[in-house]
Amino acid sequence: MSDRLTSLREAIQQVFPQVDGVLGIRRGPGGIISPYLFHSEHPEELEALAIWPKEPLPDVLRKIQKAHPEAKLAIVCRGCEERGVVEMMKHSQLNWDNLTLIGLQCTKEEAEFCRCAKPYTVHAKIVVGEPIEGVPDPVTEKVAAMSREEKQEFWKEQFLHCIKCYGCRTICPQCFCNICTLEDEKFVETGRLPMPNPSMYHLIRAMHMTAKCVACRECEETCPADIPMAVHFRLIARDVQEMFSYETGAILEQKPPQLLVLEEGEYERTGLPH
Amino acid sequence: MYEPKIIGFLCNWCSYRGADTAGMARMKYPPNVKIIRVPCSGRISPELVLRTFREGADGVMVLGCHIGDCHYSTGNHRTAKRMPVLKRLLEYSGIDSDRLAINWVSAAEGEKFATVIKEFTEQISAMPPFAETMKMEETK
Repeated sequence: MSDRLTSLREAIQQVFPQVDGVLGIRRGPGGIISPYLFHSEHPEELEALAIWPKEPLPDVLRKIQKAHPEAKLAIVCRGCEERGVVEMMKHSQLNWDNLTLIGLQCTKEEAEFCRCAKPYTVHAKIVVGEPIEGVPDPVTEKVAAMSREEKQEFWKEQFLHCIKCYGCRTICPQCFCNICTLEDEKFVETGRLPMPNPSMYHLIRAMHMTAKCVACRECEETCPADIPMAVHFRLIARDVQEMFSYETGAILEQKPPQLLVLEEGEYERTGLPH
Repeated sequence: MYEPKIIGFLCNWCSYRGADTAGMARMKYPPNVKIIRVPCSGRISPELVLRTFREGADGVMVLGCHIGDCHYSTGNHRTAKRMPVLKRLLEYSGIDSDRLAINWVSAAEGEKFATVIKEFTEQISAMPPFAETMKMEETK
């Protein structure tokens, strides 16, 4: 762990001359972890650099780029954050040309914590740490193996705990719409807890995460009720792979299905009549 | 046997005209389907389908133009992309995905319209009411 931290510091030092700032996380006073923009004028600040727990850096990067479109920035990103950055670029939320990626490979423990299938970066030129294999996701497998009635009971029980804090929506690196359907009273009822069953909030969010969820598990981590909502997203990600041959954040040139016009005969793979 | 409540979202340019054709030819089909006319089947967002279920519908139909015949050239491609995903999502949440039907009916296919409606109504009638399966305490 400390090894990776040292080599990450060195990597950031190397990148400093080419960029205006490097976005990473730092351990602030009191041991609190927060995103921080490191600057070459203050290299001593790198002492406070941290790598774990992770923070939703791509979202912070998007906000900085929005305010300073010309700034050349580097970002310390793990596999999931890199996928987040790539997806944002595809949806025109980031300027890819002004970006330098510093890839940070996850350790086995971190990957197991996130139940991550791809705990490594693929596009980053500068890489810190050794890439490792993905780990299986027992929770998703468990839900996938359930019968319909069991699934219904499982989700009903889980969503009963939801306090509708919108934390999962706010922290998600892929939730960047200016107008959010989840705030629309036509679709998500206000002033009612527990949520009515079926939960409109969670189903709409799962639907909107189609081909967008980068499996970073920030939503589950931030959830005060420990709802395993990423299970929905991961199950759908498999279908998207099967229907549209699209893997989130994997190939830079591939258009996401949302922006795609299906070719003749192609939509048949989705199982619709024709 | 209960009478299922089915909501049908019909695209203005093909399926709604198809329903007209079926009516003009005096074809018989079950009256359970309540038709809502929309400009394009691409208008039907997953939220609308979910809300329809939430309001207590037992089945939802989305009918549009055949691929390639869309009045807005690629509107129904959106339906073709999102509805299969929504079906899978319903299945993962423990809702029978057969409660949602997507089909393509053109303006000339009155007979197909009647068949599609008849088959879907029979299929939904065989299932228990949606509110009962979800144990929904109250619907608005």
